Amino acid sequence: MNRNVDDLFPYPREWMDDECSDMVRLVRQWSDREIVSRRMEYRENYETLFDVKRRKLDIDIGLQKLLLPSDAGGLGWCDPGRAPGMLALASEIGRADASAGVLFASMCSTLALFSMEHNYRAALCDSISEMFSGDELKTAAVILPGAGHSGTCSPLFKGRSILAVLRGDMEPFTVSGEGLRPLFAGGMADLFCIVCAAKDGKPCIAIVPGNAGGVRRDSALLTTGLNACSNADIHLCGVEVSRENIIERDGAVEELYTWLNLLLGGVSTGAAINFFELLSDWSDSRVIKGRTTLKENPLCASVLADVAEEIALARLLLHDLSHIIAGPGGLAGSSAVRTFTFAEMIGSRAQQGVVRAMNRGLELMGSAGYAREWHVEKNWRDVKTIQSVLCGVGAEVPVKMDTARFFYNCTEV
Amino acid sequence: MKNIDAFSRPEEYISPFDRHFRRIIRKHLDEWVMPERRRYDEDWKDHRLIGPAFDRLMGGLGLQKALFPQEYGGWGMARSDYLFRLAYMLCEEVGRADTGMGVALTVTFWPLFVILTEPYVNMRLAKEFAPMFCNTQKAVFAANAMTEPQGGADIENLGLLGGRTIRTTARLDGDQWVINGHKLWPTNSGGVSKLFGVPCTTKPGSGDPMDFAFIYVPADLPGVTQGGAYEKAGMSADKNGDIWFEDVRVPSWYRAHGPGRDAEAFYQLISIGQVGSIAFLTGAMMNLYERLLEFVSTRTYNNRPLKENDAVAAVIGRIAGDIDICRILGHEAAMIGDRRNKPYGKPLISEDVVGRIRNIKDFVSDRAVDAFGKAMDVLGHHGPDRNWDIEKHWRDIKIIQLWMGGKQLCQMEAARYFFNCETL
Repeated sequence: MNRNVDDLFPYPREWMDDECSDMVRLVRQWSDREIVSRRMEYRENYETLFDVKRRKLDIDIGLQKLLLPSDAGGLGWCDPGRAPGMLALASEIGRADASAGVLFASMCSTLALFSMEHNYRAALCDSISEMFSGDELKTAAVILPGAGHSGTCSPLFKGRSILAVLRGDMEPFTVSGEGLRPLFAGGMADLFCIVCAAKDGKPCIAIVPGNAGGVRRDSALLTTGLNACSNADIHLCGVEVSRENIIERDGAVEELYTWLNLLLGGVSTGAAINFFELLSDWSDSRVIKGRTTLKENPLCASVLADVAEEIALARLLLHDLSHIIAGPGGLAGSSAVRTFTFAEMIGSRAQQGVVRAMNRGLELMGSAGYAREWHVEKNWRDVKTIQSVLCGVGAEVPVKMDTARFFYNCTEV
Repeated sequence: MKNIDAFSRPEEYISPFDRHFRRIIRKHLDEWVMPERRRYDEDWKDHRLIGPAFDRLMGGLGLQKALFPQEYGGWGMARSDYLFRLAYMLCEEVGRADTGMGVALTVTFWPLFVILTEPYVNMRLAKEFAPMFCNTQKAVFAANAMTEPQGGADIENLGLLGGRTIRTTARLDGDQWVINGHKLWPTNSGGVSKLFGVPCTTKPGSGDPMDFAFIYVPADLPGVTQGGAYEKAGMSADKNGDIWFEDVRVPSWYRAHGPGRDAEAFYQLISIGQVGSIAFLTGAMMNLYERLLEFVSTRTYNNRPLKENDAVAAVIGRIAGDIDICRILGHEAAMIGDRRNKPYGKPLISEDVVGRIRNIKDFVSDRAVDAFGKAMDVLGHHGPDRNWDIEKHWRDIKIIQLWMGGKQLCQMEAARYFFNCETL
């Protein structure tokens, strides 16, 4: 495609400072040079090239230490004001490979819980900086509340069952839980960010190194998409954690959901933009009924319009969300619940939109839509995986309940 | 509801044979396919698991004989008044287990349908090809080599284009047809078929149905080259690839029926193919119900089983409701097919039948895509997990929506019929 996707799908660049813009440009170059222009080579050698490309992104460019403080050797993106830039980065990475994108989103969502100005935890930041600022690739996996099991009564986070339990009144605390399913990358994680229930059932977050004693992983799951992010169920048997690794402040779990909705939205939108580029090439070059270019047929044009519309709207909504997060008090204080609610609504809507865009676009591509060779099917599988995982349980119902609670003061849903 | 068989269907349409046949097929699939199907994706290239499963289903049970006349060793089902409805039942049951396996099995019938069903029967060819399928315990596949690199869905749009865009040529040389061309994507290509039905043109560029030829080509003839199987998003039991025909010679009587009648007999395949597609979809949806029922009964939101939460119940209620409606529609589509030779029916090649059946297929495809997508979201973290089976169906049923011209051609055929469109 010979048109600039930024011109086609604009977003408010003025919400990013020069440093953000430069970083986004750098990651766009990585995306174009390393993956987008070498799709076939990348696909055919995916298992080996994924880590090679990710290393260039995370180690050479330095995204792995993006959210670490400058004085700890990081790039110092420790202010929610960077949210528009983080979103743009997630989108650029997602355009290249959604698997790399979700690893970026998981890492940033985890680190953002204790490295930002409003929630800075020096000891935790120092210990994590040691892990993430070296030359080795590191992966963070997030474990959120989700489906509970019939016959057992679980502590809840807004209706979702919390299956990990934090125990102890003093150090060492322990975290336990059976069959915990990370969103992504449980099989390869160096660090787990786990929503747990504290003694009183109150949700909190434990940051648990992947090599801690008592952490056991099942074999890798076979999943619809995101095949480079090997996922596996996790079992925690009295895993010891220090107080510094426990985040108990009010709103921390909501903040985790907020970042995940923003950044995974960015990843999916990026994948959808790549889908658009491939579909656009297809519609330019294919002829139907022996004479008409696909895009010049009114029915096909209306489907193509649907695709572009969904992607454009999802992108704009997500940038609006990033602006809300970046605003004063967006993640702290009385606005935090509102930000969480908007993150849930926009995140859910954006994911639905890009999945619909891809479902519609595939209709026009016929067999090329599901052939691995054309790559659009990978974008489709990856984005559907992100969407379903982000639902947690019960489709859009938990998000609807969160929304109803905020707007109508529902107390029993 | 007790089980999946309680989903609605017009009982007065159902063959007396249905219950017994269905029980045998389901038992076989539950025993031999269900336990293995989660491993099929990784077997897409070699069919080490899938191949023996086909041998048991097609050769062992004998399904591949079904259409051939009894006098040639077959079951004579092509002559049954219940042909479409029995096909629906078969496709639904196999689709419940694995739609990829379903399409590979039933597309074997596709080229044979052109010569075995009234009013287009060619007994000489039936006798010629019957031993290939009836005298073995091994699976034998056939394919319709239809789609061409430049043509996309044009071949399924025969009503409008009349074969004008076909570039595979058939030239009569003495008592032999000489065939040249390149086809791609047929189900059961990629090296598995023993017999191809090949739509050709005897006059390139002509849109006259008299210049359309449907010719049978055994896969082992000199000049037939098959490429390897493509890697796809799903449907690993169905291999697809390229086929090249280079000066391939077959006896002149390997042409199905002759000028004019070839196009008519071939065009019938649209309707039977769409009915089969609908049945795959409702079969997969019935399995969706089985797996979803287990999940929403054993997993909770707000510490109550998911199915007991009003908002979740609305979502899963819609899914089950759609399955119920789609199954009724599917049986109606099959019944339209089985009325074809009756005084109160219409020929399969009529705009009426094509338009109505394509319309039902389009509707059921949309509902299936929606239901599977929503069901994956109900499972949430577990939605993309292959152990819950729904994600595999989700990948496979999207392919069903896209094949045979996809959604847009269905919409056009429906519009042509219902609004008498003349230029679409």
